Amino acid sequence: MTSSGGLGSESVTQVQILPAMRRLSGEQIVRYIPSIVVGIAAIALGLFVPDFFTARNIINVLMQSSALGLMAIGVTAVLIGGGIDLSIPSVMALSGIFGAMYMRAGGHPVLAGLIMVAVATLIGTINGFAVAYLRMIPFVVTLSMMYVAQGACLWVTRAISVPVTNPAFVDTVMAKIWTIPVPVIFLLLITAIVTVLIGRSLHGRWLYATGTNIRAARVSGILTARVLFGTYVFSGFFAGLAAIVTTARLLSAAATMGEEGVVLSVISSAVVGGVSIYGGVGSPLGAVIGALFITLITNSMNLMHVSYYATLVIKGLIIVTVVALDSLRRRYKR
Amino acid sequence: MNRPFLRMVGIKKWFPGVQALKGVDFEADQGEVLALIGANGAGKTTLMNVLGGVIQADEGEIYIQGEYADIRTPLDAAEHGIAFVHQEMALMPTLTVAENMYITRFPSRLGLINYKATKERCTQALARLGIGLDPGTKLQHLSPGDRQMVEIARALLSEPQIIILDEPTSSLTSREKARLFEVIGSLKQEGVAIIYITHLLDEVFQVCERAIVLRDGEVAGGGILKDLTYDDVVRLMIGGKEISPHFGRRTAHIGDAVLYVEGLSRRGVLQNVSFTLHKGEILGLWGLLGSGRTELARAIIGLDPIDTGRIQVRTDGSMKAIHPQEAKNWIGMITEKRREEGLLLPKSVKINVSLANLPALISRIWPLIDDKRETELAEKFVNRLEIVISSLTQPVATLSGGNQQKVVLARWLQRNPPIYIMDEPTCGLDVGVKAEIRKIIGELADAGAAILLISSDIDEMIGLSDRFLVMNRGRIVAELSAGSPKDKLMAAAAGVV
Repeated sequence: MTSSGGLGSESVTQVQILPAMRRLSGEQIVRYIPSIVVGIAAIALGLFVPDFFTARNIINVLMQSSALGLMAIGVTAVLIGGGIDLSIPSVMALSGIFGAMYMRAGGHPVLAGLIMVAVATLIGTINGFAVAYLRMIPFVVTLSMMYVAQGACLWVTRAISVPVTNPAFVDTVMAKIWTIPVPVIFLLLITAIVTVLIGRSLHGRWLYATGTNIRAARVSGILTARVLFGTYVFSGFFAGLAAIVTTARLLSAAATMGEEGVVLSVISSAVVGGVSIYGGVGSPLGAVIGALFITLITNSMNLMHVSYYATLVIKGLIIVTVVALDSLRRRYKR
Repeated sequence: MNRPFLRMVGIKKWFPGVQALKGVDFEADQGEVLALIGANGAGKTTLMNVLGGVIQADEGEIYIQGEYADIRTPLDAAEHGIAFVHQEMALMPTLTVAENMYITRFPSRLGLINYKATKERCTQALARLGIGLDPGTKLQHLSPGDRQMVEIARALLSEPQIIILDEPTSSLTSREKARLFEVIGSLKQEGVAIIYITHLLDEVFQVCERAIVLRDGEVAGGGILKDLTYDDVVRLMIGGKEISPHFGRRTAHIGDAVLYVEGLSRRGVLQNVSFTLHKGEILGLWGLLGSGRTELARAIIGLDPIDTGRIQVRTDGSMKAIHPQEAKNWIGMITEKRREEGLLLPKSVKINVSLANLPALISRIWPLIDDKRETELAEKFVNRLEIVISSLTQPVATLSGGNQQKVVLARWLQRNPPIYIMDEPTCGLDVGVKAEIRKIIGELADAGAAILLISSDIDEMIGLSDRFLVMNRGRIVAELSAGSPKDKLMAAAAGVV
């Protein structure tokens, strides 16, 4: 044995408590806990909420989680690369506000959509440059960017929401094809495409390699800085897509779209969906399923009249719990 | 007094999927230096981790002076007088020598650290080992050898009765080694039991009196070293397998220059390094640790920046100047740190093997990796290098060191670059795998690859290289031909030309 030193004595104790499970591998058990929890929660909701498993309700839930799902896909790429992006919701709000103000001034709705995506992608580019090329810490860069964007939102709107009244914009985005809203179709489609691309494309492989062991990736000839840069541009782009969906659904754009609770939801969607906060593990599909779960529990808590502040507490606890499980799993692996 | 001083009985340990220790009995006495030998994966470190409280055995007992010792944590081990000096040093580079040594036992006054007393005690403790280091020096400014000494000095502060040294000489120069052996000698005089884990049989015969050989998690044999020969010990280590320790000398077919490095400099690290590497040639880059050999390799492939210098490679028949960032297109790099810089440990064998060759695995129809081709190629190279795996989806973290190193090799063989840089390609591997990897290196050169080989194992260097460059303090100080004797190489590296 080479001395890995990674075998903490605590995990060893647990293995000993259950000697019969030794060969079942604690790692495997821990790994599927999030999926099991999601499954149990869905079944419970199905039992207690009438009509839960009807097509209409499922479409409703999907509709409500579409923006969150898009942002979760964005943060998934960053997390796989070993970074974090806390600025996604506030960037979403800021780009939405720019697009909405442009439409209020009489701008074309298509151009407004492009502006939203462009503004968000540009901010992602700045994040990516700072992290990948200036080698700044992702947490600091994107936390700062979160406040810059949020401040800018309040500043340009004077804390008043900007109405989105352009019928062409709203009708196009919220249109239904065979009773399914466009954002839902879009989310499903893009989840499928991005999941395949990240899983099997060249850049996807490079991304996993970089997130798993950046030094080994570099020695293997992967341009890791470029890969990391790309993840922040990608998450910015998805913040822009989320802005289009959110502004059309709310018929307005406001700074509150990017409040702290949303950051928590985005990160918890990804981690509940099996994306590791330590990098190198996870898939966009998982993150979107996580987003569905987070939307479901948020809705259930609303129905049960749980206060907004309590929901923040619960989402925070979910992140901590899932990350703790992830740490346990990694320890088993050593 | 109860003899033996330390007794471990029937130690068994399972890890997911493997039984690392299959009932090991182990004894050590005061005042003896006991060698614990074995190939990679034989269970040496696992056994000592059990004794040191780093991990717990699933079955078996430990007795010290005849009394049952319940060791569950490193702290328990320390209380039983056991000190473990780890292979990978557990020191803090930005703290001073004194701070590192006394980090858990600072002398204090009124709840504040008494730095004066710390310094005085530290100086005394170092003097006892014959080390003249300034307690105020930061660890990062010390040589690996001095750091090792600090680690040992720290372990001795608790006045242990059993000291475990895990591969203590792996990063030491020969002078530092001699000093370490002196320290071991004086500890022995004081009646300490010393357990010495190593791969290097020369050292075993030099410093130890008795040896216990582990193989596949069991005691394969052992005894008083005076009664054993080198060959006896090797046979115990490898079991039935017959391995010739020698290298089949090749007749090299050296072709045109494929890599030309000119005036490479990096402040404080490399000074005006120039050399040429030819097709089919194994060029041995020889030098002591810290001579700049690893730094040169890293600079060539753009892992570290350079201040001045030019790198040319042969492409399509003519030499072309390239930027180090592009070097990856022509040069396969095997670094000395396989776990840190070579492998994606939690990922599968397949993903690790195809990592450097992904652009060539893109399907013709989609912009996606062609899974079938990826699997075929991975299988091909796994078979060719005889990598022992249960399936291509097995995480490389669960492989033995030798198989891990073969995975790194397989990765570059699949890519098939014209030039390889290999930094310590057989470091830390057992005798059998070493021989296999040396054979592969020879075959690569025979097939026309140009190889820059770095190794601290002088026999390996002499056995494989067609030519030597000798480095000292960031400069190339000599060029020697194949068949140069050991002492000439040693003298050149030490700067005595």
